[in-house]
Amino acid sequence: MIYHLLYALLLVVFFVLQTTIFSQTKLVSGTADIILVLLAAWSLQEQAKNRWLWTVITGILVSSISAMPYFAPLIGYLGVVAISEALQRRVWRSPLLALFIVVFLGTLFQHGVYVIILKITGAPISWLESLDRVILPSILLNLIFSLPIFAVVKDLVGRITPLEVEV
Amino acid sequence: MKFLNSKNIQTIIIIIAVSGLLFLALSGYLTPFFNLTVNPLISLQSWISVRYISARDFLTTPRDITVLQEQNALLESQLTQLQTQLIVMEERLGEAQVCFALLDFGRTNPQYNYIAATVIGREISPFLQYIIIDRGTNHGVLYGMPVVTQQGLVGRVDAVIAGAARVKLITDSTSVVNIRLKSAGIEAQLVGSLTGDVSLDMIPLDVFVDPGDVVLTSGLGGNFPPNIFVGQVLSTQRRENALFQTASVQPIVDFESINAVLVVSDFESVDINPLIPEPEQ
Repeated sequence: MIYHLLYALLLVVFFVLQTTIFSQTKLVSGTADIILVLLAAWSLQEQAKNRWLWTVITGILVSSISAMPYFAPLIGYLGVVAISEALQRRVWRSPLLALFIVVFLGTLFQHGVYVIILKITGAPISWLESLDRVILPSILLNLIFSLPIFAVVKDLVGRITPLEVEV
Repeated sequence: MKFLNSKNIQTIIIIIAVSGLLFLALSGYLTPFFNLTVNPLISLQSWISVRYISARDFLTTPRDITVLQEQNALLESQLTQLQTQLIVMEERLGEAQVCFALLDFGRTNPQYNYIAATVIGREISPFLQYIIIDRGTNHGVLYGMPVVTQQGLVGRVDAVIAGAARVKLITDSTSVVNIRLKSAGIEAQLVGSLTGDVSLDMIPLDVFVDPGDVVLTSGLGGNFPPNIFVGQVLSTQRRENALFQTASVQPIVDFESINAVLVVSDFESVDINPLIPEPEQ
């Protein structure tokens, strides 16, 4: 139960930070998606439970506020957690390496989904410009923010683990 | 003869000697002698004085440092308080300036009613250019309402809930605004882009567009009221074999630092989509 409360609290805090601060902090035209990084860091915690449920909740929450059509953020976040699940079995001994791979591939997947959906809806954007101006800068920003966010999540999960055992 | 006793003679000799010495001193004959005797004395005095001051400083400075540190801490504390007050005052001044500017815009454009709103967030996806404002249906904001600032056109309400609304900026890649160029006297379309730059499209090839020409909304399409300032033309581009020329536009609104906006509440946008004939299959 306490893990759910912790994630809900983290989600609210990260959501507010994302819409108010991180969406305005641009590198070229790319921005960091700290909610994606939070999901990646959370899904790599062994103690985390109901990852898919929280991913769906996160995706629906972000989709409700985002102008992206067809629940694109939800699709992107499901992809991130799927990559995390697939990688955890292979590189679980090195969580930092796994984190970087999940954030890199997850951001690439999410933005790929965004571009495809925007192209379907008729937005005049090109793959090359998207990659050059948005996707690569966003990946770099996400990788930069992934370390501190992972440290915070790992620390918080580590702190509440004894409480969970007592409960 | 009593006057010439030994005591008086001694006095007279002393007076004469002193007078002579004074005469010699005043006439400068004794200067080398004085230099020879006084200069070492001054040097000695200086040497002792410097050592004394050094010793005194050595003994008293620690106490001064403590006092200075206390005073410094006190002054730093006062400085921090004053800086905090200054920041608060600057924030209030900024808010007041924005309010005055918005009020001024409302006065100069009295044909519309406005709802003032604060920007509270931005779109999460970097591919889209949207802002979130703190006014919704509870405050009279409805879908499709144009959004402006005291400077010019910002965008259009794209989605609205009870306490907030999402505004699609004119810089969004899917945004199209019908405009007219003031000097050239022609109509064209302002389109956004992935990077947030805006440009003009559909400018006829036979029209010469001056850089600096003012871009205003035309009102065509029924999405925006006419004659709202949008920006200025930066440069034009003509491509070979293209049917129209394009132009880069510098928007008047700084979309990166936009904090407050006005929603035009009594402008009803017209949906002309049903009137557009669908292409035959």
